[in-house]
Amino acid sequence: MQSKSKGPSLAWRFQRLLQIDAMNLVILIIGVYIVWSIISALIDNPARYLPSPIAVALSSVDMLYKGLLPSYFGDTLMRLISGSIIGLAVGIPFGLVLGINRTVADMFHPIMNFFQSVSGIAIFPIVVIWWGNSDKTIFAVILYTAFFPIAFNVLSGVREIPIRYISAARTLGASRFQVIKDVLLPGAMPHIATGSRLSIGFAWRAVIAGEMLAGQQGLGWMIFTGQDADRTAEVVLGMMLIGVTWIILDHYLLRPFEADTIERWGLVQR
Amino acid sequence: MNAMTAKLVVEGLCHHYPDEYTGESVHALEDINLELYEGELVSVVGPSGCGKSTLLNILAGLLPYKVGKASVDGKVIEGPGPDRGVVFQEHAILPWRTVSRNIGHGLEIRGLPKEEISRRVQEYVDLVGLSGFEDKYPHELSGGMKQRCAVARTLCADPIVMLMDEPFAAVDAQTRITLQEELNRIALATKKTILFITHSVDEAAFLADRCLVFSARPGRLKQIVTVDIPREKRIWENMNADAEFIRCRDEILRLVREEVSVAIEE
Repeated sequence: MQSKSKGPSLAWRFQRLLQIDAMNLVILIIGVYIVWSIISALIDNPARYLPSPIAVALSSVDMLYKGLLPSYFGDTLMRLISGSIIGLAVGIPFGLVLGINRTVADMFHPIMNFFQSVSGIAIFPIVVIWWGNSDKTIFAVILYTAFFPIAFNVLSGVREIPIRYISAARTLGASRFQVIKDVLLPGAMPHIATGSRLSIGFAWRAVIAGEMLAGQQGLGWMIFTGQDADRTAEVVLGMMLIGVTWIILDHYLLRPFEADTIERWGLVQR
Repeated sequence: MNAMTAKLVVEGLCHHYPDEYTGESVHALEDINLELYEGELVSVVGPSGCGKSTLLNILAGLLPYKVGKASVDGKVIEGPGPDRGVVFQEHAILPWRTVSRNIGHGLEIRGLPKEEISRRVQEYVDLVGLSGFEDKYPHELSGGMKQRCAVARTLCADPIVMLMDEPFAAVDAQTRITLQEELNRIALATKKTILFITHSVDEAAFLADRCLVFSARPGRLKQIVTVDIPREKRIWENMNADAEFIRCRDEILRLVREEVSVAIEE
């Protein structure tokens, strides 16, 4: 067993990720552009069914100029951020508290699993009945969507911590609080990382769906009204923004965080 | 021995527990009496299921008991505590802590100042031969190194009694021999009072001042074999020619085999 260095730093890996991505990205964008342009050129009435990339780009310039795009994008992003942060801030302690006592954990596990599987969209109608088509409704759906995956994952994470880790800490004299702080919380970290990523991913879908259904501005609103007004370029633009935003968020923020936690905990060895 | 003080005392300890699958009451321990004197290493051997691990869990305070009495330094055992350090079978060091943070965990729990902790951690890192690995995570260590880290963690918390539950059972044969010699060296250097559970007769004879042989279930103290070899002379190379070691080992082996055959006949 020779001594090896601590492993590549996060910054180094981040840089490499960027380099490889840059290459792949250029190839991918060119490929998509060509295929998309060809299809768009071959069909009848492309402005209605599938505007060319250039038409979409032009519409984005137009919307940028009018200030609509930054405003919609900002609305959507703010909803995602506030909903996710509050969802995680409530979900993590909740899962932890349920997980601390094994009997309580076993009892709540199926209930939490149930709610995590009922998507935000499925609860949308009932929330609309309560609060109508409002910002409150969208926020409630995002919060619901973000809360359950993280809470469920934290609960599972705490339950799966080997008892011998807890025993070891207790025989070192750890109090109940110290067991939570030194064993349960760090032991559940990989699940917290995975759960956060899931929660934010689901929340992102919920934001868009919520905006479409409750109609309170935002990217979801933009693609929904774009369809109504026969402005297909805006619809495509909105879809692209939704996808690209998620890829950037996931690739440069959520995935590295998850991978780093899992690797440090020794669950995956490079 | 009489001049020494008993650090760990067990009197009339009995234990039953319900079987995990059938729910039937299992009689694990029957009227256990033992004393561990200061600086003594006592090994416990017996056939599988003789309750030796149950005994250790009770002494560690992880398993409540109803019948009998167990105490450390006159204090009755009622739960886990830093006066009894435990080295578990395997994989009980925390995977998200580095070697030095694992070793210092007990002192951290006690709230000692950082400088004090790092000074004492370094002492035990050196003692168990983990110098240069202080900042490694457990998954970067071999099985033997993990157990060294576990031993150092327990020692560093400075317990009155160290309880070891088959700590070397999961490592390969070569490493096991090295770890046994190292534990012998550590026992000599630290004069710790140690209770060492094992199913290996060789290991029990090599390490013990006294070896307690347990009977098949329910576990009873069948016989005590005293191993009268100075620690300085305990090196595996010498043991094959050491008449006292061979006598003790054969005696322990004979006693254990009697119990194994009893267990099989049942």
